[in-house]
Amino acid sequence: MSELSLVVVAGLITFASRASYLWRRSSTVPASPFLEVFPLALFVSLATVGLAAPDGTLEVGPGIAAGIGGILGAVLGRRRILWVIGAGAAAFAVARLV
Amino acid sequence: MHRPSVLQGIRDVAALAPPLFAFGVLFGVLAVDVGMAPWLAVAASLIVLSGAAQFALVGLLPAGAGAVLVAVTGLALRHVPMSAALARLLPAGVGRRRRLALAYVLVDETFGLTVIAARRPGVVIADYKTGADVVLVVNWLIGTTLGAVLGRLVDPTRFGVGELFPLMFLGLAAPLVRGRRAWITAVAAAVAAVAAVTVLPEAWRVTGAAVAAALVGSRVRE
Repeated sequence: MSELSLVVVAGLITFASRASYLWRRSSTVPASPFLEVFPLALFVSLATVGLAAPDGTLEVGPGIAAGIGGILGAVLGRRRILWVIGAGAAAFAVARLV
Repeated sequence: MHRPSVLQGIRDVAALAPPLFAFGVLFGVLAVDVGMAPWLAVAASLIVLSGAAQFALVGLLPAGAGAVLVAVTGLALRHVPMSAALARLLPAGVGRRRRLALAYVLVDETFGLTVIAARRPGVVIADYKTGADVVLVVNWLIGTTLGAVLGRLVDPTRFGVGELFPLMFLGLAAPLVRGRRAWITAVAAAVAAVAAVTVLPEAWRVTGAAVAAALVGSRVRE
C-alpha cells in the first residue's frame, strides 16, 4: 500500500467514525447519561495519558507537576481554560528547572 | 449564519491556537523526518485532520500499513460517541451537507469548546462550531506546512510542546466538572487512564479509558 493510499484510508476510517451519527438528517440520538459524561471522560483521559505517560510509560516528572498546576489553575481561575494552561505551563517550567 | 455565534467560536478557539499550531509544526517535522514528502504531510493534515491519528501514522509507518490502520481505528473509535453527543446538540433543521462538514472537523478541541458553549444561552451551535473549525483547520494546515518545509531547522519539542498539549484537554475538561456525576466521571477517567497505560496498547488507551469512565459516570445519580 502506498503512503498516499494509507493516508486516504486513515482519513476514511476517521471520517466514517466522525460521521457515524452526524450524517443522519434528523436528530434521532436519544438523550443518555453516557453521552452526557463522555466528553468529560474523554478530556480527562487525554490529559492524564499525555501528562502521566508522555513517552508511553508512566513517569513521575514535569508532566505530573503540570497537571497539578493545571488543576490549581482551574480552581483559582474559576475553570477558565487559559488559567489551566497558564498555571500548568508555569508548574511544568518550574518542575523542569528543579 | 448567526454572526455572534461564529465570532464567539473564532474567539474561543483562538486561545487554543498557539499550542495547536506548534503541534501542527511538530507533525510536519516528524512526517518529513520519517521520509514522507512535504506535500503528503500537508495532504495528511487535510485528509485525516486528526493529530493523534496523524502522529500514529508517521510513528508506525516503518511497521507497515496493518499496524497503522489498527492504531488509527483504535483512535478513531472515540469519535463515535463524540458524533452522537454532537448530533444531540444540533437541531433537526441542520441539513446533511452541513452535518457532514461538521463531522469532517469533529476534533477533540472544537468538540470540547462546542460542548461547553452549548451550556450558554443564545449560542447557535452549528455556527459556533463552524467558526471554531475554520480557524482550527487553517491553523493546523499552516503549522503542518511550516514544519514540513522547514523540517529539521525547527525543533518544537524544545519548547515542551508534547508535554504541554495535554494541558489543553485539562482546560477543556475543567468547565464540565460540575456536580457529583461529573466529579466521579473525572476521577474514574484519571484512574482508568493510568490503568490503560499499563495494560492497553498505546493507540487504544484514550478510547478505552474514556468509554470505561463514561460507563461508570453514567451509572451515577446526580
